Amino acid sequence: MTQQTNLSFSGLNAQQIKQLERESRREHWGRAWYKFSRNSLSIVGAVTILIIVFLAIFAPYVTPYPDHATKPFTDFANASQPPSLEHLFGTDEIGRDIFSRTIFGFRFSLSMGVIVLSLVVPVGVLLGLIAGYYQGTRIDSIIMRTTDIFLSVPSLILALAIASVLEPNLSHSMIAISLMWWPWYTRLVYGQTTALRNEFFVSSAEVTGASTAHILFREILPNILSSIFTKMSLDMGWVIIIGASLSFVGLGVQPPKPGLGTMVASGAKYLPDQWWISLFPALAIVVIVLGFNLLGDGLRDLFAAEEV
Amino acid sequence: MKLLPFIGKRAFHAIFVLLGLSIVIFVIARVMPGDPARVAVGAHAPDWVVQDIREQMHLDEPLVVQYFYWLRDALHGDFGVSLVTRRDVAQDIIEFFPASLELALFALLISAGLGITLGTLSAWHKDKFVDNLVRVLSYMGVVTPSFVFAILFLLLFGYLLHWFPTLGRLSEDVARPPTVTGFMTVDSLLAGDMVAFWDALKHLVLPALALAMGSMAQEARITRASMSENLNKDYIAASRAFGIPERYVMGRFLLKPSLIPTISIIGLDFAANFSNAFLVELIFVWPGLSRYGMNAILRKDLNAISAVILVLGVVFIIVNIIVDITVAKLDPRIGLRSARSE
Amino acid sequence: MNTWTRQRFVLLGIIALAVVMLAACGGSSTPAPAEPTQAPPQATKAEAPAATQVPTEASAAKSPVALRVTFAWPTYIDPAVGNDFSSSAALVNLYDSLVFPAKDGGVIPWLAESWDTSEDGLTWTFKLRQGVKFHDGSELTASDVVYSMKRLQTIGEGYAYMFENVADVSAPDDQTVVFTLSKPSGLFLLSLVRLYVLNEDLVKANTAKKGSYGENGDYGKDWLLTHDAGSGPYMVKEFPLEEYLLMEKNDDWWGDFVENAPDEVRFIAATETATVRTLMADRRLEISDQWQTVQALKSLDAIDGISVAAIPTMTEFYFMINTKIPPTDDVHCRRAMSYAFDYATAVSLEWEGTKQSQGPVPATLAGHNPDVFVFPHDVDKAKEELAQCKYADELDQYPVEIHWISEVPDEEKFALLFQSNMADIGMPVKVVSTPWLSVVENMSKLETSPHIVTIYVGADLPDAGVMLNQRYSSATADQWLQNEWLLDKDFDARIADALATVDQNERYAKYYELQDYIVDLAPSLFVYDQVEKHAVQDYVDWPAMKGEMSPMQGYYFFAPQIGVNPTQ
Repeated sequence: MTQQTNLSFSGLNAQQIKQLERESRREHWGRAWYKFSRNSLSIVGAVTILIIVFLAIFAPYVTPYPDHATKPFTDFANASQPPSLEHLFGTDEIGRDIFSRTIFGFRFSLSMGVIVLSLVVPVGVLLGLIAGYYQGTRIDSIIMRTTDIFLSVPSLILALAIASVLEPNLSHSMIAISLMWWPWYTRLVYGQTTALRNEFFVSSAEVTGASTAHILFREILPNILSSIFTKMSLDMGWVIIIGASLSFVGLGVQPPKPGLGTMVASGAKYLPDQWWISLFPALAIVVIVLGFNLLGDGLRDLFAAEEV
Repeated sequence: MKLLPFIGKRAFHAIFVLLGLSIVIFVIARVMPGDPARVAVGAHAPDWVVQDIREQMHLDEPLVVQYFYWLRDALHGDFGVSLVTRRDVAQDIIEFFPASLELALFALLISAGLGITLGTLSAWHKDKFVDNLVRVLSYMGVVTPSFVFAILFLLLFGYLLHWFPTLGRLSEDVARPPTVTGFMTVDSLLAGDMVAFWDALKHLVLPALALAMGSMAQEARITRASMSENLNKDYIAASRAFGIPERYVMGRFLLKPSLIPTISIIGLDFAANFSNAFLVELIFVWPGLSRYGMNAILRKDLNAISAVILVLGVVFIIVNIIVDITVAKLDPRIGLRSARSE
Repeated sequence: MNTWTRQRFVLLGIIALAVVMLAACGGSSTPAPAEPTQAPPQATKAEAPAATQVPTEASAAKSPVALRVTFAWPTYIDPAVGNDFSSSAALVNLYDSLVFPAKDGGVIPWLAESWDTSEDGLTWTFKLRQGVKFHDGSELTASDVVYSMKRLQTIGEGYAYMFENVADVSAPDDQTVVFTLSKPSGLFLLSLVRLYVLNEDLVKANTAKKGSYGENGDYGKDWLLTHDAGSGPYMVKEFPLEEYLLMEKNDDWWGDFVENAPDEVRFIAATETATVRTLMADRRLEISDQWQTVQALKSLDAIDGISVAAIPTMTEFYFMINTKIPPTDDVHCRRAMSYAFDYATAVSLEWEGTKQSQGPVPATLAGHNPDVFVFPHDVDKAKEELAQCKYADELDQYPVEIHWISEVPDEEKFALLFQSNMADIGMPVKVVSTPWLSVVENMSKLETSPHIVTIYVGADLPDAGVMLNQRYSSATADQWLQNEWLLDKDFDARIADALATVDQNERYAKYYELQDYIVDLAPSLFVYDQVEKHAVQDYVDWPAMKGEMSPMQGYYFFAPQIGVNPTQ
């Protein structure tokens, strides 16, 4: 971020600085993409995620037995069949095709991640920006002490506790996780905002009379977007794990809906003989989380390298 | 900054956080739908019994009043009666906590030991086969939920190979040593009972390993990263150029500074073990605090849920303080004040 | 074998390395837990004297023969608290009752040698057996019985609800107990099976002053959670909560043990399939819990030396139909459902030996009407009935919701089967999974009660009237025991009259009529009589498998009559 400081000394007006800033940011993202595309692991992650998203969206068309996941369906004659060509992942205790249900299960996992993050990120980021900008004031201490409270206990435990008092279903488990998750973003943004708030381009905007909102969203926010995106990508994985854990203990997606954690849990009763009922959904969780982690790590390495 | 004032300041902060946490917990516990008193005694119990329990728990008073009752009692170590075990929650916690602690500590031993070893190996053979193998493994470790590991280990080592027992803390044909510390391994050693010791140790392996996998992977990654960073530092090259023995360079100049970030992570992971234990203890029928808490959550046992979360909050805070102090002691460049700023 | 040993060695090596590594880096985190561990020692010691008294007896020369059974936690061994499956199984072994359930539904003398009842059926006098000793060696007398009844009634949990009609109990002398009832009851004698007699002096000595029962303090509740004060054939040896309950044989018991009765009975708090499987295969578990899935049982059955016992219970699986909301408020719609459901397939999903229920009470209960009408699976008949239903032309407007309980995943299969059966006759059905607590909440009000709820209901006494009363009388309409909302005054009067009838044959005749009456209303689908499935080692001689034990909850696990001979 040192470029901006240098530029402003070379006699450019605010408008021009802005223009240059925007260009450099564009260039920055362009270079980022180039570097990213050179890292094979991140590409593997990105491709995995793309495939999963594609499968999830077009699940009714790409799965062999969509009815087994979307409609009430029983076929007791074909129950608990091991994997075969007809049923790639075998069938469960009700005779449903586990492959189809796993693909549909991605829908729950993805929407869990997307919805939780879209609830959490705006709130967390906004609070972090405000607390960071008003560093040292009462607003700062109220916000940051509250995050301390929420971060004082592992998120899984509080999410479990919250989910347990609500009627168990997918949306309540999303609420429970969201309530636990925003402080991470507040803390991340807070750290970066306090670092940036004394930078020259922020104080110059203050001097020119820009509104607080302008400073927060136009000056500071764009500079911390990269770390927010990185964290979001990694968090998709964690949120999916926690969501699956809630479903595993019966506090998330409810059967007969094919949540991945739900499927692992209901299959666990049939271990060790009917191992496929829970193994494949479990592997599916691993794959989707792995995808987001590879992607996130790629992003992090890249931005970290950028900032040096 | 001196050690004592530092601890004092952190303790003050901790009290504040715990108070806030207690409010959060209390609110969670009391918005629960359904009548916990009725749930406790079952459908057949007469109404007056239910009413008695309601009164004991102050369920009919306003929320704020309920909170102060709860806080007053909690400060006296009285968390009320568990609806599941039917006795004082405090007593339950005293009984179940050591089992969880033993498990978490054992998991810590495994994860720290293996994590640092693998991380070091990886950094040492950077970009070679070993490194790639460790990186892939640690990726798998990080992205696999602990309950999946638990199920896999249970099936593989417990069921298929019969290497380790999968139920509880001690085989039923082994006499329990008298309870002294609550740690089955320590108690059996104190009793001089080697049979019980080996048996208890064997029971620890699978659940601890399932718990350790995630943190081990993370610690390996962190160690590798900080070590490979330090490997490129000038002073290492200089030391080598001066002909200082390789072993000495590795141990003294490389390992110690490289471990600082790892130790911070180890602390957090140790505390996180209690949280992952919620599912792992359930799977291995480990009679610890987390299984107790999980049962309480599934049966909507208000008092027990609140107490378990609070206890884990305390553990978290204590571990954090200890990590700060350790890091500061290890690294003379970091003062106590700024230890946690990263 | 060789590679195994090597791999094990490597693993141990790695663990050892881990220990060394940690020690080397200063043991950074080990001090952390030191603070919280300081408190436990004294407290734990004080709490678990049972565990510390006899620490190393097991290493004696002859290892004791154990009967090990897995159960779902929790187990309450206080007779005024426990009444669920595992609790009752423990109580029958730790305590004695005045009478003991016979396999045919009656009772045989137990602590009471004889008894007498007054003309009006309100006063019952019992003569106690002499020389019965509690586990601490003191004598069991009539005042202990009085104390146990009063304690049970005051605490009001456990089986207390069975004694609501007991107005007074007294002990004129050491061997005589007199009960006075507030209204005559045909079931009083049978319910006395559930009055477990406590050692009054021992409980009083272990009563905490602080408690919610006034001068009785905590009534010994805290102590009795982990200790027994009984005279029964077994006594508590160790009881670490959530782990296991270990009971040892009481050699001074007044009754008879069968030849190979176990020296120890251990209830293990675990029902996880893989765990149970491993324990069974290693012969470290004699009888499995009843929660294993059919698939799991099949694979256990395949193991040499293990077979699966399917034992009848007093429990029936019902689809409870709300009779007050459309379209199920029309009896023809309900009969249509009763004909359309495929009972044979439903039964086939269960362990073999399971049978379709014959009417509203399980066939195990005394007073069950063997000639009651049983709905066959008959789609044509179903369509005929449906045509007579007043909603026949507008079924689409009234989709039937069937709720199954999320905690009992096997119920889903039956709900889904119901849905596809009803599709055959053109009745739209929506399947909903609902957690138990919400089910209870929903069923407490007519407005929120769904069309159908699938629930297993068990009778507490082997008597058809008990089941009819709890299932269909207006008193239970707002409880989970009834989703039918029958609210039928006529039925209420008739079942109350039947229950008060002391003469057994007369009583059963009344039950018979009531069963016909209920079936005619078709307020429920009577799916099947539940059988309890347990995997059992062949070296266990279990009377319950041979139908030689009362089906009352818990008595299948009455250990003095179970033979265990692992050396055979």
